[in-house]
Amino acid sequence: VTFDPRLPRDDVNVSKTHPLAEAGWLLAAALAAGLLLALLAFAATEVVARWLPPRAEARLFGNLFDAMAVEGGQRAQDEKADRASALLARLAAHWPENPYTFRLVVAPDESLNAFALPGGTIAVTRGLLDAVQSENELAFVLGHEIGHFAGRDHLRAIGRGLVLSLLLRAIVGASATDVTIPTFASELASRGFARDQESRADAFALDLVYAEYGQVRGADAFFARLPDAHAGFGQRAASWLSTHPVTQSRIDALRARAKEKGYGDVAN
Amino acid sequence: VESWINVAIQVGPPLVLLLGGYFIGSAVEASHFRQLRARELRSRNLPVMTLREVPASWKVEEAMLVTGCCVISLDYFKRFVAGLRLIFGGRLGTYETLMDRARREAVLRLKESAFEAGYRAIIGLRLETSQIAKGNRQNGGTVGVEVLAFGTALRLAK
Repeated sequence: VTFDPRLPRDDVNVSKTHPLAEAGWLLAAALAAGLLLALLAFAATEVVARWLPPRAEARLFGNLFDAMAVEGGQRAQDEKADRASALLARLAAHWPENPYTFRLVVAPDESLNAFALPGGTIAVTRGLLDAVQSENELAFVLGHEIGHFAGRDHLRAIGRGLVLSLLLRAIVGASATDVTIPTFASELASRGFARDQESRADAFALDLVYAEYGQVRGADAFFARLPDAHAGFGQRAASWLSTHPVTQSRIDALRARAKEKGYGDVAN
Repeated sequence: VESWINVAIQVGPPLVLLLGGYFIGSAVEASHFRQLRARELRSRNLPVMTLREVPASWKVEEAMLVTGCCVISLDYFKRFVAGLRLIFGGRLGTYETLMDRARREAVLRLKESAFEAGYRAIIGLRLETSQIAKGNRQNGGTVGVEVLAFGTALRLAK
């Protein structure tokens, strides 16, 4: 046996593709696939929001969001919550086509917020319940959420929220973003609704408040309590960036509608 | 704004790991490849074969089992690319270099230890790989792989 001490080529077992190129192609493909999926999911959400009957919606989502109120040990049983529940029922009675049986749950959270959740559940935070100073003000907030049900915005929002969180999970990795229902719900509230949906819900609320009380004084008081999160950006940037119309423009729209419909003065 | 900050908090650290994994990982890999080639050149006079049996003409004075072992892990970038590959399939280029390095390193360690002990030929070379650790992540990804090279080192009579 003779031995020829030559080295074989050392690149046969390694692909020629540059790792960055490989990563780039894969990322682009994943992004395209993700975008396509997201578009499909958004379209599906739209279809569901438009065609899912409220009865089926209630069956599907039934008690899903009860957990939110129970976990914090603050099931809506105190006086404030009871009064809010009664108010909710009275307001809903002014919506003749109402297909929902509304329920109020109190989210154990200090922030000021209210959410419309699938199946007819309206969640208000403890902080909001503590902060409101007049019945009109609370009525406006609840009416606003009922308005989201009327526009079926809550289904669109939950669909968008789901798609967004799924995308985020896909991008960042499953363990990095564990979306629990409360944070998920607050995500819905913070960026779930588009600006025109908010405006329509405002108008709906104003009509309900007027139908209940024959006046709309203090309906805009809630806006005064909202901390203006976008103040640092300047008004124009804020109205562009925010999914919620800037507080002032919402107040203006309310006043205009009250005037147009002859509801009287909005301001307290 | 808050949600953007949240996104930054979620995406930032992995992005840093990704960039760090790529730049540091590539530098380490390039230097390892250079080192491997140099060591292979240095040790090229020690033949390593996969023969099962000693050729009839050889006069063996002494034989011994020699091993070379190497444990490798992925960097963040390679794992990221591999994760994307899971979706689409295809050649896992970033793992190919990794496994190539591990195999060559294991064989080189085997050769170097045999040469130091005075052996001048190795037959019956075999390679084994085993997964030594499983990640805790939900996808159960591999954290490390061991490549073991073993063979019979021979001391031959002149």
